[in-house]
Amino acid sequence: MSDPLSRLGNAAARRLSDIGALARFGFGAGRAAATLTAAGRVVAWRVALQQIRFTAVHAVGLVVLLSGILSFLVISQAIRELGRFGVTELIGTLMVIAIVRELGPLLTALIVAGRSGTAIAAELATNSVLGEVRALEAIGIDPRQYVVVPRLAAAVISVFVLLVFCDTVAIATGYVAAALNGMSGARYFEIVLQSLGAGDVWLTAGKAVAFGTILGVVPSYYGLAVRRAPTEIPIAASRATVASIVGVFVCSALFVVLR
Amino acid sequence: MDARPTAAHSTPLALVEVPLGGSPVSLDVPIHSTVALLGDEGTGIGALGGWALGLEAPPSGQVLVYGTNVSTLPHHERLAFRRRVGYLPAGEGLLHNLSLRDNVALPLRFGSSAAPRAIDGRVAVMLAAVRIADVADRRPAQVNEEERRRAALARAIAFDPPLLLLEQPFDGLTHRTATELLEFVRGGETAQGGRRTVLITAQDLPAVVHRRIEQVYRVTRSGQLEPEPAH
Repeated sequence: MSDPLSRLGNAAARRLSDIGALARFGFGAGRAAATLTAAGRVVAWRVALQQIRFTAVHAVGLVVLLSGILSFLVISQAIRELGRFGVTELIGTLMVIAIVRELGPLLTALIVAGRSGTAIAAELATNSVLGEVRALEAIGIDPRQYVVVPRLAAAVISVFVLLVFCDTVAIATGYVAAALNGMSGARYFEIVLQSLGAGDVWLTAGKAVAFGTILGVVPSYYGLAVRRAPTEIPIAASRATVASIVGVFVCSALFVVLR
Repeated sequence: MDARPTAAHSTPLALVEVPLGGSPVSLDVPIHSTVALLGDEGTGIGALGGWALGLEAPPSGQVLVYGTNVSTLPHHERLAFRRRVGYLPAGEGLLHNLSLRDNVALPLRFGSSAAPRAIDGRVAVMLAAVRIADVADRRPAQVNEEERRRAALARAIAFDPPLLLLEQPFDGLTHRTATELLEFVRGGETAQGGRRTVLITAQDLPAVVHRRIEQVYRVTRSGQLEPEPAH
């Protein structure tokens, strides 16, 4: 085997090994959640609520702004171009397929990965470097119960809530774009609602859960992997963000393939 | 394998040919006694707590806690075992985003099936016992070193463990405070008839504390374990 092929094989093996380790870490977090004591659940929820405040509440403005702009651009351009062919009714299909099903969840996930994924990885890496994670283990606490489970729960809930905001704002901004481009509001809502089925709502909800899981597990994994040097913290944060984004896009593609 | 310390093992802590100062060292810490190991950083005594709790494995030899090599236990049994051994790491190991009260409560909340209200009651008693009740709602960065040490010791004995491992417990404290904390962690006579077993590792000890400890050894750079008489 030539060297480049050998290197390629080694790199692929490393990636697969990383994915396996991430999956084990995720399942381990699930098991840790199942064995929480009553008082531990109270603490975990308290931590999760703090995370939701940062991940969801503080990100609402950004999600509203970006989803509004995205929807306005797509719908404005689409009405003009589709109007030339007399098929403006396709605007509903475009809104549902492009925005609600695909771009909305991706935009939401990118925002959460950029803001909170980085923060989670940096925070856990700092905890690790300061010896706090080791201290938890030393006093008999599974660090996954205290640091990973709340962040995982918070990420799933936050992505779900932000996605509702994102899609609602996108549809509302599409209305404004349609009105500015000569389509009546009533007609816009009629064709959008005709195109929107229960399957789209379930698919979006499924993506929220899947993306939230990725955005909770991946940054935690990279954050806790840091053991010694503070110089590893920015590297972990960067790797976590990139891996989260790649994971979300791959997952999104899998939804299309498996549907 | 039973992960819980039991009375069947008369030696709470045994070092079996672990490398200290470059040579294999063996030592038994007798039940209900307090033993101190003194030495420079280079001797490796700072790693003993981690070895005993199975956080890291020693390069050679083993540390047995109630006859068990903790690092060989499955993950959840290892965690359960550690709850029966009080541990004060060097630098206290308090979580900086929690108040002292929550730091002390943390092991009880995650490691016991007691109701939240019962845990709060026990924590209040412990905070009063280490005399930090008035600063209990502050975070570690908002209190002084002595108060942090008191909180960390209260956390170490949260489960009322029969064995305590203390790393540099008296550094930066006044002699009076050091003596008070030593007597507090050793505990009084228990239902089983004796005090806690305590292993202290430090670079040095205040003379007033030294005199109260049954066995004090110094690990030399050549790996010898020499009894160190009180000054």
